[in-house]
Amino acid sequence: MIWISTRWKLLLMLAPALVAFTMFVVYPVVYSGVFSFTRFQGFGDPKWIGLGNYAELFADPFFWQALQNTVVILVVSLAILIPTAFALALLLRRKIAGSGALRALIFGPAIIAPILVGLIWVFILDPKIGLLNRFLVTLGLPAVPWIGGDVLSPVSVSVVFIWSSVGFAMTIFYAGLQQLPSDVIEAASIDGSSSWQTLRYVTIPMMKETFAIVTILMITNIFKIFELVYMLTGGGPVHRSETLVSYMYFVTFTNQQYGYGMALAVVITVLGAVVSAGYLALSRRKEQAA
Amino acid sequence: MTTFSTQTQRLLVAGEPQPRNRRGRRAAFITGAAAYLVTFLIILPLLWVVLLSFQPSSDILSDPFAFAHFTIDNYTHALATLPLLKMYGNTILIAVVSVVIGTLISFMASFALTRMIFRHRKVQSSLRFYLLAGLAVPVYILLFPVYRLDLSMGIFGTYAALIAPYIAVTIPFNTLLMTGFLREFPAEIEEAAIIDGVGLFTLCWSVVLPLMRPVIATILIFNIVYVFNEFPFASILINNPDMATISLAVSRFQGQFTVDYGGMMASATLVLLPQLVIYALFQRHVIAGMTAGAVKG
Repeated sequence: MIWISTRWKLLLMLAPALVAFTMFVVYPVVYSGVFSFTRFQGFGDPKWIGLGNYAELFADPFFWQALQNTVVILVVSLAILIPTAFALALLLRRKIAGSGALRALIFGPAIIAPILVGLIWVFILDPKIGLLNRFLVTLGLPAVPWIGGDVLSPVSVSVVFIWSSVGFAMTIFYAGLQQLPSDVIEAASIDGSSSWQTLRYVTIPMMKETFAIVTILMITNIFKIFELVYMLTGGGPVHRSETLVSYMYFVTFTNQQYGYGMALAVVITVLGAVVSAGYLALSRRKEQAA
Repeated sequence: MTTFSTQTQRLLVAGEPQPRNRRGRRAAFITGAAAYLVTFLIILPLLWVVLLSFQPSSDILSDPFAFAHFTIDNYTHALATLPLLKMYGNTILIAVVSVVIGTLISFMASFALTRMIFRHRKVQSSLRFYLLAGLAVPVYILLFPVYRLDLSMGIFGTYAALIAPYIAVTIPFNTLLMTGFLREFPAEIEEAAIIDGVGLFTLCWSVVLPLMRPVIATILIFNIVYVFNEFPFASILINNPDMATISLAVSRFQGQFTVDYGGMMASATLVLLPQLVIYALFQRHVIAGMTAGAVKG
């Protein structure tokens, strides 16, 4: 191999990816970090204000609201999504006519653009024209402000997120279940373990890694939720339904407070990394305890 | 979601896969019915949009459950309003160029980082780590800096403004998959090729790349789905409506159609259906590609 690994050949192979990556990923991250310490409105020179943006952030009620909404979406989504997806994977592993087609249909929403997912759900959740309220009203029940009201929007965003991700998570669980050694499970049932016991004490512990993968993936994706909010509520009324990323987008591109927006972006990135790392540390410790 | 959680409980209690007696057969019927019900609930929002797109807007507002009048007016209106071909053309152009270049340069780097010989080993592994570190970078922190970068490079207002960041953000993931594959690649094959006296280009193009087909397929699918559906970058880096991608055009439907819900739903259907058809044709590969990518990532 040494004779094809001349210095200029190495350079030729590596340079395009390294240059593109450095220019459009690494440099922007550094740029965001630096700009988060400045006040910059898009004209003139950015003014160095040290930790000013970060101080402002902690005093900004909209930031706390967005953080709270993001936490609500995170908790509601994970609590429903993970068990549902796992249960679906168990369900579809059984002999059901056309289960392959069902799996493909359930996975379907995962390939639809998030922006289109948002639009589709406007027709379901909209208080006036949405399917859900039409249905409730037909049954003689009161209409509910699923989106656009004061409180329910984050929950509705979770529901939509779950809809678009459940098939994806289910598929990963399904693949994980397929890889389990079937003799262990057979042995358990021969030993007189009930199917519930087998699930609880054999299957789920053996799926630990898959659970960790799905959870981390979903945490990462939840921190990125933006299009759904953009389409469903636009963050309103008065930023009540904003998530961290949608609020950052508003601050940066609508308000053009670039320095402040970058400080927000930095905080969200750190938060997302901390939550993922925290989850990993927690699940590792549990594993050692068990 | 209540139906989901009750089903969850029932499922967790149910167990044995093989029905043996009447009770078993009944259980099998119930699980089958549950599976179909969940699937129906999941595709219901899509069915709803498609169904309503064939109703006049006035009916949608007054009584959407009536289904009294069937009309294709919404479609004629949507087709007249939307530059559908242009939207698809823009998106396909951007997707093809960025995914082809992104995959190619990621392959070149991955090959160098795993199979070529560096004078200092340390350099090789740290360069690989440098590219993989990009996996931890969320896209939204890049939006504003990339916008400024595009402006200062003079590519803002061209397709390149969007293509460049798309290439860059897919490099870490591509590198992860390809270096993972290439590390376990048997050395005999390339040694044989080198003994035959082929150069670096022939070695990569006719020996290594053909063997990487499965990985390349995964990467292509994963990246094409990403670029096709991407919105945040597109919303900032494209300001000319003639260059709008599909996602960008969809984001404007609400403003464009306002209360013409029929037109909006017909447009949503027109965007959705081609994607679903392509998905239906390649679903096995798409599912495998997207999840394999996720699990390894």
